[in-house]
Amino acid sequence: MLSYFRVLSAERLKMSRSLIVLLILVSPLVSILVGLLSDVDSRQQPWLLLLGALSMLHALLFMPIMSGIFAAFICRYEHQGGGWKQLLVLPVTRSGVFLAKYTVIIALLLIMQVLFLGALLLVGAVKGLPGPIPWTEIGRSLLGGWVACLPLAALQLAASLMWSSFAAPLALNVMFTIPNMLVVNSATYGPYYPWAQPFLATLPAGTMEGGGFGALNLPFESLMITVVGSFVVFFLIGWIYFRMKEV
Amino acid sequence: MSELVIQTRNLNKKYRGRYAVRNLDLEIAKGEIYGFLGPNGAGKTTTIRMLLGLIRPTVGSIQIFGKDLRKDKMNILRKVGSLVEYPSNYGHLTAVQNLEAIRRILDAPKARIHEVLEIVSLTKDAKRPVKGYSLGMKQRLGIAAALLGNPELLILDEPTNGLDPAGIHEIRELIRSMPKQHGITVLVSSHLLSEVEQMAGTVGIIREGEMVFQDTIDNLKQQASGGFRLVVSEPQEALVHLIGQGYTGRMEDGAIKLDQLSDPEVALLVKRLVDNNHAVYRVEEKRRSLEDIFMQVIEQGGFS
Repeated sequence: MLSYFRVLSAERLKMSRSLIVLLILVSPLVSILVGLLSDVDSRQQPWLLLLGALSMLHALLFMPIMSGIFAAFICRYEHQGGGWKQLLVLPVTRSGVFLAKYTVIIALLLIMQVLFLGALLLVGAVKGLPGPIPWTEIGRSLLGGWVACLPLAALQLAASLMWSSFAAPLALNVMFTIPNMLVVNSATYGPYYPWAQPFLATLPAGTMEGGGFGALNLPFESLMITVVGSFVVFFLIGWIYFRMKEV
Repeated sequence: MSELVIQTRNLNKKYRGRYAVRNLDLEIAKGEIYGFLGPNGAGKTTTIRMLLGLIRPTVGSIQIFGKDLRKDKMNILRKVGSLVEYPSNYGHLTAVQNLEAIRRILDAPKARIHEVLEIVSLTKDAKRPVKGYSLGMKQRLGIAAALLGNPELLILDEPTNGLDPAGIHEIRELIRSMPKQHGITVLVSSHLLSEVEQMAGTVGIIREGEMVFQDTIDNLKQQASGGFRLVVSEPQEALVHLIGQGYTGRMEDGAIKLDQLSDPEVALLVKRLVDNNHAVYRVEEKRRSLEDIFMQVIEQGGFS
């Protein structure tokens, strides 16, 4: 456990002055742009409609993609020129290193969510949306979206640990994320497709006209079954692999 | 026998049915510089990776500081500094920040960063991003990182790889100073004997995964003497006379060839020849270079 905190502290230092800071900003900035250009019907639940509009890009695309980019990014330095060796000859446990790396990814995703919330509030204020702001629904959406990213982050960490190439895990990630646009429309496959969960968890059920479409009517709880299940599988794969890895 | 810092027993590493390291018994005593030699691909790096717990041996045990590596890995690694193959660093960070990242893991005192930068003479460039460093500077930063935790054992895998002569000299002097100034035991691997013979007290030579020679460098040098060549008048009679006196020798190109002898033995031999009315024109010692011996060892797997 001590090993975990020490590695985490070292990881935080390695992050400084890195491009990652810019990557976190991409989705919130794009969301502001999309939000300002979108037309929100302000008659009923305007905040949730705005959240729904912004989620189209943020939760459907950026959150799964960023999970992969962050994972590839924080493994990149170690893959270059024997960095794993240098890290693992230090008195650290493999589990400690794995957990620290994972923590960094999900922390970055959490920061991204907070910035996205900022973008949402900014757009709402500029558009003069009427209050009260539905904090509970928004909070549940953003937190749910983040939780739904946890299995993706675990899978991408595993892939990034296995492949020394920066592009390969990203290709895998994009390959699974692109079908999202079709999958979320399907009531059959949507609930079981891990890459679709951030979107399904973010988009408030019943805010769409006519009560939503496809898998969007599913209760929050059933989404979490897919999330937790895939998390356990992906996390174990990565963790066991890293413990056995020959460096 | 002095205390052993590293001791491996019957160490084996098998990759897809092929042994990369086989039955390796490595013994390194406290306070010495051990030169670990062998051609590329002989198993040096594989051995070092096993010593550092980066890979698991297929068979065999490793004891470092008298403790089993499998059971006491954390405690052992805390006292070991290492540089495996290439030095690794974060290019966008400065030397100080790179060392700070490692320091946080080691939990070493902050002042230690400046101490190690001083040791490898990087103080002047400490505040520059590492991506602008030359290979030699990166290598020195790697050694600084290895020294950060105040190790009792330093494991350096080909530390002079890719350096220019000045850089090689500098690193060599640095390594040489370790046991004297800091009481550190050093294991340094190389594929060049000439590189380690000036600093190592003991050498281990590995070939196709097997240890073919492990002894002091002085004993290796002993093997370098190839006997004597005597040019005398009436060589045939002289040889018969010498054999009659109990020497072993033979004729070669009109000269007498004798096995290795000590200085007093040579003096006595010359006196006997002179007393027997032979004129002694030349007494030559035939020396092979260490490099020749090294080549012989790694080509034939031992001394002939």
